[in-house]
Amino acid sequence: MVLTHTTNHAYAHPLPTVTLAFFLRYCSPQLNPFAAHVLSTDTISTHVDEATGRLHTTRIHLKKSRMPPSIMKMLPTSLTGGGSVDKASYILETSVVDMREGWMSTESRNLNFVGVLSVVERQLYTAGPAPAPADTTNVATTVVFRSRLGERIRDRLGHHQNQQHPQQPPSHAHQLAPPTDAAQQEAGGSGWFARLGARGIQRSIESLASTKTQDQLGKSREGMRMILERLRQSGIIGVLELRKMARERSAEAA
Amino acid sequence: MSQSLAKQCNEVKERYDTCFLKWYSEKYLRGIGAIDNNECSALFKEYSSCLQVALKERGIDKLLEDAREDNKENDAVYLGRKKCKIRALGPVFLSALMICSRIFIFHV
Repeated sequence: MVLTHTTNHAYAHPLPTVTLAFFLRYCSPQLNPFAAHVLSTDTISTHVDEATGRLHTTRIHLKKSRMPPSIMKMLPTSLTGGGSVDKASYILETSVVDMREGWMSTESRNLNFVGVLSVVERQLYTAGPAPAPADTTNVATTVVFRSRLGERIRDRLGHHQNQQHPQQPPSHAHQLAPPTDAAQQEAGGSGWFARLGARGIQRSIESLASTKTQDQLGKSREGMRMILERLRQSGIIGVLELRKMARERSAEAA
Repeated sequence: MSQSLAKQCNEVKERYDTCFLKWYSEKYLRGIGAIDNNECSALFKEYSSCLQVALKERGIDKLLEDAREDNKENDAVYLGRKKCKIRALGPVFLSALMICSRIFIFHV
């Protein structure tokens, strides 16, 4: 099951500034109060393609879980990892900037909890339309939610049935089949899966996450806008200074 | 930038980030010496070798591998193969794919 959500948005800033704000958006909670849930940001790889001049960057962010508590409650501890300690999720972000052609494309996906819910957000930033191309940047955002809960069980059951009846399509195999040992194991060994039904759970998880994400998209835009304003007011050097000051203040406080 | 996920890498990460942001805004975006970001690469190497240790310790290297694997698995589904896990890359990947497909045909 898959749920897709698409939005378009325009920033009243030129593309180069918006791409810079993208790299800066989690820089410090003082500069972007909407990024308080971001615990860490690291660059894994970065290079400029010699042939195309494109900048490829891969980063990993650690965020306090955006998985709504209502979803966490629905899941067995074997999937959520138990107690409230480690509810943070790792987000892998890849981006490509092409300043010659005037676009930036980004993709963010969660690295853990993918068995419960995979969220892939793709964005394409392009310079605005002809009359004022230098002043606006358009962003097309697509978010794909996919809950694979039960899919693996279905796979296994489908595989199992295929061996017995090779002609039968595996897609409906899970509906009537009783949970096998493998399924029990996957669901936490408590028959939990059998009680609630994979389809309903998948649908609930996807739609809950979708609602939550629409809310978050608004906040992430607000955050981008604040960084953009800072850049307009004080430029990159000013932002770097502010960041340094904020860091020193928090170091003193600690 | 916000913190590194590994405290011990914070300092070098900070220096690298500052270097990168300066290079990006002052050179790359202006098309000056856009071909490489050599001026930050020594810092990146230092930062990266610190970070790699932390990624391993936390099992994130495994998560990254899984994410790549997952993409391949999705591709494999479209090719009609679900159970064939392909870990190799490049030419080895192709031959593995062929072997997998053959097994699949036999299986059916």
